[in-house]
Amino acid sequence: MKGLEAISHYHGVSLAVLGVTVVFIALVVLAVIISRLHVVLGVWENPKAWLDRVRLWVFPEKPEKPEPPGPYFDDIHESARQLNLLIHAIGEPFSLPALIEKAEKIGISHAHSVVSHLIVSHLIVPDQKGYFYWNQKECDRLLGKGRGKKGVETING
Amino acid sequence: MDKFFYFINQTGFANIELSGLAMMAIGLFLLYLGIAKKYEPLLLVPISFGILLVNFPLSPMMAQPENGQPGGLLHYLYLGIELGIYPPLIFMGIGALTDFSPLISNPKTLLLGAAAQAGIFATFLAMLALGFTDLEAAAISIIGGADGPTAIYLSSQMAPHLLGAISVAAYSYMALVPMIQPPIMRLLTTKKERMIEMQELRETSKRERILFPIIVILVTGLFLPTALPLLGMLMLGNLFRECGVTDRLSKAAQNELNNIIVIFLGLTVGAKCSAHYFLTVETIQILIFGLVAFGIGTATGVLMGKLMCMATGGKVNPLIGAAGVSAVPMSARVCQTVGQEDNPSNFLLMFAMGPNVGGVIGSAVAAGIFLAVL
Repeated sequence: MKGLEAISHYHGVSLAVLGVTVVFIALVVLAVIISRLHVVLGVWENPKAWLDRVRLWVFPEKPEKPEPPGPYFDDIHESARQLNLLIHAIGEPFSLPALIEKAEKIGISHAHSVVSHLIVSHLIVPDQKGYFYWNQKECDRLLGKGRGKKGVETING
Repeated sequence: MDKFFYFINQTGFANIELSGLAMMAIGLFLLYLGIAKKYEPLLLVPISFGILLVNFPLSPMMAQPENGQPGGLLHYLYLGIELGIYPPLIFMGIGALTDFSPLISNPKTLLLGAAAQAGIFATFLAMLALGFTDLEAAAISIIGGADGPTAIYLSSQMAPHLLGAISVAAYSYMALVPMIQPPIMRLLTTKKERMIEMQELRETSKRERILFPIIVILVTGLFLPTALPLLGMLMLGNLFRECGVTDRLSKAAQNELNNIIVIFLGLTVGAKCSAHYFLTVETIQILIFGLVAFGIGTATGVLMGKLMCMATGGKVNPLIGAAGVSAVPMSARVCQTVGQEDNPSNFLLMFAMGPNVGGVIGSAVAAGIFLAVL
């Protein structure tokens, strides 16, 4: 008996299909179990860490509000007042990097933004030689108007 | 004078047959391949010597016991094959020698080992079509698994008269892996795919390596109890190696026991290659279709590798699929060599060991299926 007759007689096709299927199923099951083995072992070796992760997953913690940064002057009057005193201390003309460094040292946060704010407001003016001056006239005018509403006068007005 | 002539008639010269001479020539040729060319010498040397010993005219090596006279040496040693003892013991030695870490850290490569066994079942159909019985077809097609002990075990249980041809074919093709696989691998992959560098494998813990053989045997033993002789011994050997408290047993399994069994197995496999069994048309068909099975297994492994490459977005190099044929570690080395042709900085050896040892498990499972169903 040869050819397709022999294959049919011995149920060759069903045997071949069965064989491939069983080999695949057995090895897939093995692969799945082996792939999770290190996870299971991790739980076995350190159950507390696993329990903490489960607890966090079930009861996620609310994210804490971030602490506000150091003094940041939304109000241009306060910015002008603080930097006026600082610039008098460091002297004129001054370089911007030196001013920003000093401002950060005394705890003014967002020093770049504050200095930029004052440049835009013409309180810090360039001398066209790479250094800057404090525009005392403008400062007096601004501070002479009194303090604006808290947080109202910003760069965007 | 009568005694003299009687003696002359009892010499080999007086009883030479052409078929016996042809087999002795084949034995000497395989001996040359094993020693000079170093093709699987640990097995080909004893196999070829067994062929030589058993094909001498009036050789008593495989004589059956009769009239109160004991049988030949190889007749008793052959009982280890007939009773299915040697191949499982060889598997124990293989398990003790094998590091399964690449497979444990990348278990999806087991699928590559599974895919490479498709060649077995395709060849099974082809052998049925050629007129072999189902048992013979199963024994021949297992050559596609490229696993010597599995091929010997299955053929000793299902078609012992074909054991010689099947064993010679299986071990010859395992030795010829560096010649057979690369053209198939290059044909089925693009240069870009061959150049893929894979991500480093994670470290495996000692506990994982100890639990692995236990889990494998629990799963496969429940699925397929007929695979237990082979897989059970493979995993026992691996457990000896990994548990750390049986070093002596591990060393004995790897060395003394393995070497002794290899000698007995090789000799007795060779002893089955008498002219009567070997010089037949069936042998030529076995040699041809054994090669076909091997090639199909390589191709399906590489194709599964391509599928995994697509599914993972290019993280798997398809070449490692060819290592799913369980010629450990030769086919893994071939993957490395072929990969480095296109990308010299590509080190695929450890990645290919995963499917390589997965293929050992796959071919044992395939043999278990034949044993269960036929």
